Amino acid sequence: MDEPFEITMTQRQDPTTLDPHNHRETPTDNVVLHSYEGILWRGPEGEIIESLATEWEVVEDNRHRFTIRDDVQFHDGSSLEPSDCAFTIQRIVDPEAGGLESPQRDQLAGTTGAEVVDGERAIDMLSGGPNPMAFQNIASYAHVVSEDWISERDNEEIAVEMNGTGPYRLADYEPEEYVRLEKFEDYWGEEPDVDRVEIIAAAEDSTRVSQLLAGETDIISAVPPNDAGRIESEDGMSIADIGSTRILMCPMVYNEEPFDSVEFRQAMNYAIDLDQMIDEILRGFGVPTGQPTLPGYNGHNSDLEPYPYDPDEAESLVEQSGYAGAELELEYPAGRYLLNDELAQAAAGFIDDLENVSCEAVSRDFGTLAGELLDGDLSTTPSFYNIGWGNTTFDASQTLTPFLTEGTAIYHYRSDEMEQLKEQWQVETNADEREQILQEANQLAHDEAVWVFLNREWLVYGINGRIDWDPRQDEYFLAQGMNQA
Amino acid sequence: MRLTRFLLRRTAQGILVVWGVITLVFLLRFITPGSTIDFVAPLDASPELRQRLAEDLGLNKPIYVQYADYIVNLLQLDMGNSLLKGRPASDVIFARLPATLELAIAATIVAILFSIPLGVISATRRHQPVDYGATGFSLIGISTPNFWLGIMLILIVGVNLGWLPTSRRIIGFGPALELLVFEGRTIGIQVWFEHILLPSITLGTYFTALITRLTRNGMLEELGQSYVEVTRAKGLPETLVKYKHVLRNTMIPIITVLGLQMGTLIGGAVITESVFNWPGLGTLIIDAINSRDWPLIQGSLIVIGVGFVVINIVVDALYMYFNPQVTFE
Repeated sequence: MDEPFEITMTQRQDPTTLDPHNHRETPTDNVVLHSYEGILWRGPEGEIIESLATEWEVVEDNRHRFTIRDDVQFHDGSSLEPSDCAFTIQRIVDPEAGGLESPQRDQLAGTTGAEVVDGERAIDMLSGGPNPMAFQNIASYAHVVSEDWISERDNEEIAVEMNGTGPYRLADYEPEEYVRLEKFEDYWGEEPDVDRVEIIAAAEDSTRVSQLLAGETDIISAVPPNDAGRIESEDGMSIADIGSTRILMCPMVYNEEPFDSVEFRQAMNYAIDLDQMIDEILRGFGVPTGQPTLPGYNGHNSDLEPYPYDPDEAESLVEQSGYAGAELELEYPAGRYLLNDELAQAAAGFIDDLENVSCEAVSRDFGTLAGELLDGDLSTTPSFYNIGWGNTTFDASQTLTPFLTEGTAIYHYRSDEMEQLKEQWQVETNADEREQILQEANQLAHDEAVWVFLNREWLVYGINGRIDWDPRQDEYFLAQGMNQA
Repeated sequence: MRLTRFLLRRTAQGILVVWGVITLVFLLRFITPGSTIDFVAPLDASPELRQRLAEDLGLNKPIYVQYADYIVNLLQLDMGNSLLKGRPASDVIFARLPATLELAIAATIVAILFSIPLGVISATRRHQPVDYGATGFSLIGISTPNFWLGIMLILIVGVNLGWLPTSRRIIGFGPALELLVFEGRTIGIQVWFEHILLPSITLGTYFTALITRLTRNGMLEELGQSYVEVTRAKGLPETLVKYKHVLRNTMIPIITVLGLQMGTLIGGAVITESVFNWPGLGTLIIDAINSRDWPLIQGSLIVIGVGFVVINIVVDALYMYFNPQVTFE
């Protein structure tokens, strides 16, 4: 018998709960997805793959069927039934069914419930109308719990225990100190290489780097770009990086001066030297964006290039807009995203360099800024602000709808054209047609320069050489994907 | 009897202080921008979902109702649930409190161990190399930022030399002691000590420097008093003069400062905790404030308020010990 292979992973934040349906945070997913599995799952590039369901099909526009495996056990020894999968969906969408007000409910928007198909190991997911996002949503959410196990516990207990079907079971949990997991011997799928995992958190960047260099942990997330070189130069340490599902941008409120002018908004994009910002501030860990949707996503428009750096063009567009002499403030949430303070300040600096516009970056507390953005009242929203947006459904609509169509908490742009496109992408079930609609919407967002487009955020990990691992786009780092080097 | 009355009065005062703090916090909620719901609800939540989550958490009741509910629950020793973590605020806080107390006490011990002898030596050998060394050290100690010292210690002692762990606490003093007493295993205490050493030096350096200065100046002042001549004339040995009489009279300001510093430390040492990943109250409160987790903020302030009151009682008692002229009245 070989030595058991044990690893420690350090992320930025501790999980806030172990209940897979009562959170919306990656650090919590990074823990619970060791133990809970989805009905569907995603490959490293975001493609939908099988998990607890082996087949999935559209029965009717509002009825999606999933065939459930018959060889799966929960950690408590009971076997997985289709009713558990149906209950999982119910628990998210219906507060009455599972006794939980799930913050993931909007992620299954349109879904009204789920039921077991008579006489088959299958469930039907039901929607109020056509639901083109059904499979995308199920691949990102709805991690399956045992109906009996949940029913016997109150929500406080579910927050500190786990009983899933995944490759690791909970061994020991001390909230805000550590989570320890061990291999689940009766796992239905491929046996993972790693026997035991400890997951800890350190918010301070330098602390994570020190833990890695001292050999106290094996893998750390969110390596500051400035420290990447130091880790790589160390023997037996390496850096792994991949583009994340998050973009950084500076939305401009469409009906406030001077941003009600398309020329002015375009000018802001021509004004900034995004490539230089990425090189200097992010040390190359980032890629410029020119549309709301990332490559590889459903609806990405590959014809669109980022706005080039052209201050002369910017100045003449400002003249055309009639807002020459405008004084702007760019409000950014301090320290919220990877080096976003520096990026926002640089963007404001480039804009300020224009002859006919002045711009100042203003640091804000994230909570206060979020309050102004999310109160559903556009007049309290700063007219020019910096924010990041993650979209793990790999579908353009999850970025376009909240920001660029009317009626959401965080929208800042509205046009008849975009509203018409939304009507279509919400109901179109033909995949090719829908992709075209979304591409058109991205073209519109680019031409209309709805944001100052910044960079795609990059995921940078420091790894001890005893582990072999390819990072995932969706920011999950899970021991089942790691191998002994 | 006087002692009992003193304690009762102080306890009553303490309760008033804590009540005042809670009331103030509720008043602050009026003027603080940003709502907890922005943190609980995802950014893309629909208005309906936000509304339902707010109802679920009781956030949309009028503030005076929330205040009354809170006070009534508090009288039953219930601090409410942390909005973000969903667990009772008291559980979250008391899980962190031991780490904070350990670090505060360890840093104070480090400070006392080094500062008082250093201050005495430097005062009695005024303008000699030892004195210059000690005053130089305290100047550096006072002007070194905590986070820098912490990071340097981690890099040199933890990463490069590999002598001590870089961060975390791993085991509390309580469980470590249990291991020692009931199972006779020293490993717990050893691990605990290894982990607390660097943070307590980091945190203690500033106090060491501060108290060295206080001791030196106090000693110098006292050494000039005529009673010192008298004790010497009586033929008392020099050590006895210095430590029993002079130092004792210097202790009052030192204890005042130590008490004040301990009080601050009860609230947690945010920077040291965060650099060393030490699971104390400081980082918890900052997180709670940043996410407007009011039950957690309130609960922590209560604990800190109580800590302050207790320390002040101890400090008063110590005054009396060192200067019998001070009385309870």
